[in-house]
Amino acid sequence: MRDAFSNALVRAARTDDRVLLLTGDHGYALFDGIRSACPDRYLNAGVAEQNMVGVAAGLAKGGFRPVVYGLGAFVPVRVLEQIKIDVCYENLPVVFVGDGAGFVYSHLGTSHQSTEDVAALRAVPELVILSPADAAEMTACFELALCLARPVYLRMGKADLGAVHATPPTIPLGGILPVRPGGGPVAWIATGSMVRTALAAAERWPGSAVYSAPCLKPLDADAVAAVCRRHRVVVTVEEHSVFGGLGGAVAEIAAERAPTWVCRVGVADRFSKYCGTYQYLLGEHGLDAAAVVERVEAFLGQVGATARAA
Amino acid sequence: MKTFDPAALRRTILRMAYAGSTVHIGCAFSIVEILAVLYRSHLRLGAGPADPTRDYLVLSKGHGVMAQYACLHELGWLTDADIDRYFADGTRLKGLSDAHVPGLEVTSGSLGHGLSVGVGLALAAQRKGTSQRCFAVVGDGESNEGSIWEAVLFAAHYRLSNLVLVVDANGFQAMGTTAEVMDLGSLSAKLAAFGFHAQDADGHDEAALDAAVRAALADPAPRPKAVVAHTVKGKGVSFMENDNRWHYTRLTADTHARAVRELTP
Repeated sequence: MRDAFSNALVRAARTDDRVLLLTGDHGYALFDGIRSACPDRYLNAGVAEQNMVGVAAGLAKGGFRPVVYGLGAFVPVRVLEQIKIDVCYENLPVVFVGDGAGFVYSHLGTSHQSTEDVAALRAVPELVILSPADAAEMTACFELALCLARPVYLRMGKADLGAVHATPPTIPLGGILPVRPGGGPVAWIATGSMVRTALAAAERWPGSAVYSAPCLKPLDADAVAAVCRRHRVVVTVEEHSVFGGLGGAVAEIAAERAPTWVCRVGVADRFSKYCGTYQYLLGEHGLDAAAVVERVEAFLGQVGATARAA
Repeated sequence: MKTFDPAALRRTILRMAYAGSTVHIGCAFSIVEILAVLYRSHLRLGAGPADPTRDYLVLSKGHGVMAQYACLHELGWLTDADIDRYFADGTRLKGLSDAHVPGLEVTSGSLGHGLSVGVGLALAAQRKGTSQRCFAVVGDGESNEGSIWEAVLFAAHYRLSNLVLVVDANGFQAMGTTAEVMDLGSLSAKLAAFGFHAQDADGHDEAALDAAVRAALADPAPRPKAVVAHTVKGKGVSFMENDNRWHYTRLTADTHARAVRELTP
C-alpha cells in the first residue's frame, strides 16, 4: 500500500506541476520515488508540523496542490487546529496523509499510535476522510483526493496485509464497496486494515455480506441505511476508537434512518498498555479475527440474533 | 489618492468599536501606522482582493483587525454600513481576522497561525517566480507561540526574500507586559540570529517605518526580512496608551467622545 501511495504521488507530480509533497521529516525511503522523479516537488518542512500545515494552506491559496505527510499521531492530531482554521475553513485543496494509523507503530508506544484521528476530524466541516483497505483502494483514494480539490485526510494503516479486492475498485465519494456479497441477518462494514479481519471473522457466519468503507466522511447514508434494512445486525470493524469513527457514523445513520442492531468493534476507551508486535497489540485490543468472532457472538447472544438464523 | 491618515484610521476604529461595543481597541491602535505605511506605500494590490498577482498583507495578530478594517474601508473594499453595523447580527465582519472577508488573507485569533500561511504564500510566489511580496504583521505576545519560530526557521531555510515580517512590539500581551509574562528579550537580535535581515524602528514614526520597509525590500541577500516596530498599545488616545485594560474595555458615550476629540484635529 505504501508503494501504491508513492507511485500515485509520483504520477500526480509528473502530470500536475501544482502538486507538492511536504513532510515533517518523516517517511524514510517512502519518498525515494518522488525525490528521484521530481526532486523539486519534495519539501522537508523539518520537525515542525504546525508550520508545515500553515505553509500548505498558503501554498494552496497561491495555486498549489500540497500533499502533507506525517505519522497519523502528528498529522492530523497534533495539527488539528491548523487543519480546522487554516485549511478547512477556506476549503483549500490540501491532502493530508496520516501514516501508521492504529497500532502500526506497536513497539513505539502511545505517542506513535493513532486511534482517535478520525473522531477528531469527523466534526471538522469541509474535510473528506478516506481510509483505504489495500493498495488498489489507496490508488483510487489518492486519485479521488486530488480530484476533489478540497481538504482530504487520507488514513494509511497497516500496509502489507494484501489485497481485499479481486479487481481494482472505483471509489465514489462516500460509497461503500461490497467485498463479499451475502444475505442473512449479519452484515459487516469495515475500513482500512480491518476489512481483511472482517472477511476472516465473517467466515464464522457463512453467507454474511462484507463491505469496505474507504470513505468515512462523507459516508453515503442511503447506502448504509439500505444495508441496515437488509440485515438484523450490522457489525462495524475499525482499527480506531469505537467513539467517533466508522462505528459511530454507521450507528448515527442507523438510528436516524433504519434502526437495526449495530455492533461497533474497535478500540475500547483505553490506551495500549504493553509493548509488542502489531499482531500482539491487535490481540490486546480484541481486534484479531478470533477476538472479533467472540465479540460478535456475544453481541448476537445479547440481542437475541442467533447464528442459527444465518 | 488614499491618504491612510492615522488619526482618521483611529477614528474609524473608534466608530466601529463604539457601534459594536467591542474590545481589542489597544492592539488595533498600536498597528495603525504600520498598516498605514504598508497600504499607502508598499502593497501592490492590483485589481483588488481577488487579484492573484496582488501582494499579501497577513494579519497574524488578528486581534488588531479593526485597524485593517479601517484600511479596507479607506480602500473602498468595506462600506460605511460595514463599519457602522459592526457586530450586528448577520453581518460579515468578525472580531478577529477572518479569511472569508475579501482583503483579509488569514483567519487569526488563535495565535501563531497567520505567519505560517504567509510563509506559504511567499513560498508559492517564489516557486511561481512572481514578484509578489508578503507582509506579515505579528504581535510580540503572539511570539510566545512555538509555531512562530517554526515559521521563522522555515522562511530562513527556504530563503524567502519576498517575506517581510513586521512585529508589532507593543510590549503587552493579554495578562500583562511581555516582560512580566514571558520575556522575549531582543526580537530583532533573535530574528537576525535566525537568518533574517532584521531592523528596529519606531512603530509610530511613519517616515522611519517607511525607511525600514524600504531598506528591507532593498536588501539584496536571499533571506527574509523583519522590522521590529516598537509601538505603544492604545497609541493615539492619552487614557488608552500603555493601559492594558483597553484590550478588554468597551467604550462608553463619554470615553468615546473624549477619544474622538483627541483624534480630531
